[in-house]
Amino acid sequence: MMTRALIEHIEGEASLYFDTRGDKITWAEIAFPHFRGMERMLEGRKATDALVITPRVCGICGHAHLMATVRAIEAAYAEAGYPVELTRKAKSLRELTLVLEMIQNHFKWLYLVIMPELEKLGIEGLAPAPLKGAYAAAQATKILALFAGQWPHSSYMIPGGVTCDPTHLERIQAAGLLDELIAFFEKETAGVDLDTLLTFASCREFNPLQSDFGRLEKGLIAAGMHKKGMAYDRFVVLGEHGFTVRARLKHTRPMKADASQVATEAAVCRDEISHARNVRYGKHFYEVGPLARAIAADNALIKNMHRRYKDSVYTRVMARVYETALLLQRARKLLEHMELSEPSYIPPVALERVTAAGEGIVEAPRGPLIHRMRLVKGVIAEYGIITPTQWNLGSSVMSDPAPAQKAMVGAVDIAEATFIFRSFDVCSVCTTH
Amino acid sequence: MHSRLYKPTLIWLQGVTCNGNTHSFLNLPYLPQLLERFEVLYHPLLPCTQSLAEIARCKRGCNVLVFEGAFDPEMERAGTTLKQLVGHYAGEAGHIIAAGSCASFGGIFKASAPERNSGLAFSGEHPDGPLRGRVGKVINLSGCPVHPEWLGYALMSIADGRPVAVDDLGRPTALYRHMAHDGCLRNEYFEWKVDVEQFGRKEGCLFYEHGCRGPLTHASCNRTLWNGVSSKMRVGTPCFGCTEPDFPRRNLFETKTNMSIPEEVPVGVSKRAYLTMTGIAKSFKIKRLEERLIDDD
Repeated sequence: MMTRALIEHIEGEASLYFDTRGDKITWAEIAFPHFRGMERMLEGRKATDALVITPRVCGICGHAHLMATVRAIEAAYAEAGYPVELTRKAKSLRELTLVLEMIQNHFKWLYLVIMPELEKLGIEGLAPAPLKGAYAAAQATKILALFAGQWPHSSYMIPGGVTCDPTHLERIQAAGLLDELIAFFEKETAGVDLDTLLTFASCREFNPLQSDFGRLEKGLIAAGMHKKGMAYDRFVVLGEHGFTVRARLKHTRPMKADASQVATEAAVCRDEISHARNVRYGKHFYEVGPLARAIAADNALIKNMHRRYKDSVYTRVMARVYETALLLQRARKLLEHMELSEPSYIPPVALERVTAAGEGIVEAPRGPLIHRMRLVKGVIAEYGIITPTQWNLGSSVMSDPAPAQKAMVGAVDIAEATFIFRSFDVCSVCTTH
Repeated sequence: MHSRLYKPTLIWLQGVTCNGNTHSFLNLPYLPQLLERFEVLYHPLLPCTQSLAEIARCKRGCNVLVFEGAFDPEMERAGTTLKQLVGHYAGEAGHIIAAGSCASFGGIFKASAPERNSGLAFSGEHPDGPLRGRVGKVINLSGCPVHPEWLGYALMSIADGRPVAVDDLGRPTALYRHMAHDGCLRNEYFEWKVDVEQFGRKEGCLFYEHGCRGPLTHASCNRTLWNGVSSKMRVGTPCFGCTEPDFPRRNLFETKTNMSIPEEVPVGVSKRAYLTMTGIAKSFKIKRLEERLIDDD
């Protein structure tokens, strides 16, 4: 018997349809009801217009969409025989602002979603404080805006570099704001200084922490989340950045990853029209996101958690919150080493000369984001977007479930299943775009 | 002034949206204080007292309705169409705020489905939305996304019981009587018609060749900065005119010119006079404006 649950506070909504035996979940299907037609509206426009339109796919990760677009246009340039040159300055500015967007995402998810939802499962002592998430996220986007002008919906990355031309004045302002954000993270979130947190190699080290992260860790164990929500224990990281390692992993064993193997199919939901698509690498489903990135990067703490508790909700949630720390450190390094004497932008040849296809891949907060375009004389003939949530939150048939479906089967009741669903950091608007 | 004890009830509904206005709102520095002034019945992200399913039953009303996203009459939230939801809550509410350009004029998502989607009171520049006739009651806070301080201004005014004066397009005059150009750090270059040589430079104006709509766009982005610190023009990105009913236009990174003069001249300026003035301004050779400002990075 199918029971429907409406899931909200996920950047839009989703419907979950459950088969249950008693209360226990025996099967789940996922539908994303809303569709906006972002890809079609780009056709016939000049490729650079996509730099303004695609950030509007998503209010929480628009910067990742911007970067995927600019990378796709640059790939088309290269394919057409006009490789685009980027200075180190342009590259590090792009990476810095991308990292800051991920940081705001993770703070919001921790404070506005995961802590309150975990408390709803009956876990005590979490002391959720949603507005802490808004405060920390606003601080991160303030730093981002010093270079990108605004957040959400900046369009400061353009083929050949970035539009901004910061001086040491902005760099020093940014470093000051980042120090403040790190101090907040250390006091409120971590309960330990950043450098110490980054040396953690075992989950035991969370025991003495009197902090939100410490309470979350204990709460996840209290809720039994270290034994729940396993998916395939297969991971993919595709975006290439200073903070990622591109890889495909079976358990923790790395293999080569080749984006040409990525393909999509319509999602299956028998009870409702869903506009979502499933993504596979070759024939198989893979999990993407911070857990995948941590394992690909051989992170000692997350691998320790994975060794104990596999790809459970516990490991998945902890990996995302811990990634905030890694990204704060990365942002600090990028600012310290920011080389400002180089040009921000090296003009490429006229876009009208580009008739070619291009693919741009970025690690967004939730995993690899792929933009594919075909240009005819600089005008978009076709545009395709594959989002990270389509990897994790597919909906397929019982003999071949998508990662979130597999993770929900076996949950003791619908409340627990929906928490497992949220452990993937659901974004409805990205899933259907 | 209303008593501080009185808290208006607020519902934040979403139409066809990217959630950008929701996230922009979270950047408001005095968000906790603002939330203290309202009883938030529903918000898609912030703590609230009701679920979407409860809201979708349309049993109660609210004092303030904030609507984000384009209006698609057939779109459903928790099984109830926007037509029903907006019809119910807009009828009950004393104040309606269209947060962002989609809710104001249709914006990006009118561009994706022009035959179906519109803003609440307007469709593009025409008062053809489902709440037409309530211009004045519907406060349009256009912008893609809405600036958090603009939303803060409108909501605090409502909480204080202060009327909000609006222009012909339903936008608060206090926020939209200025041009995005006001306060732009490149104004001296604009004055003397010195274009930015290329993107990625802090020197030069983006209006003449690089698509900037600052002098054509009603917005206060350079008076009340984004995220408290910046704006598009401050980081060398042209203004795309996102607060106007014709957003998104095409060819956003270039200016359409006629004999190397922009085809559209600043709002309120005679074209002929502008051409003459441009000729004179360009005849000056101002060394200071032709050099890099800072070359010792």
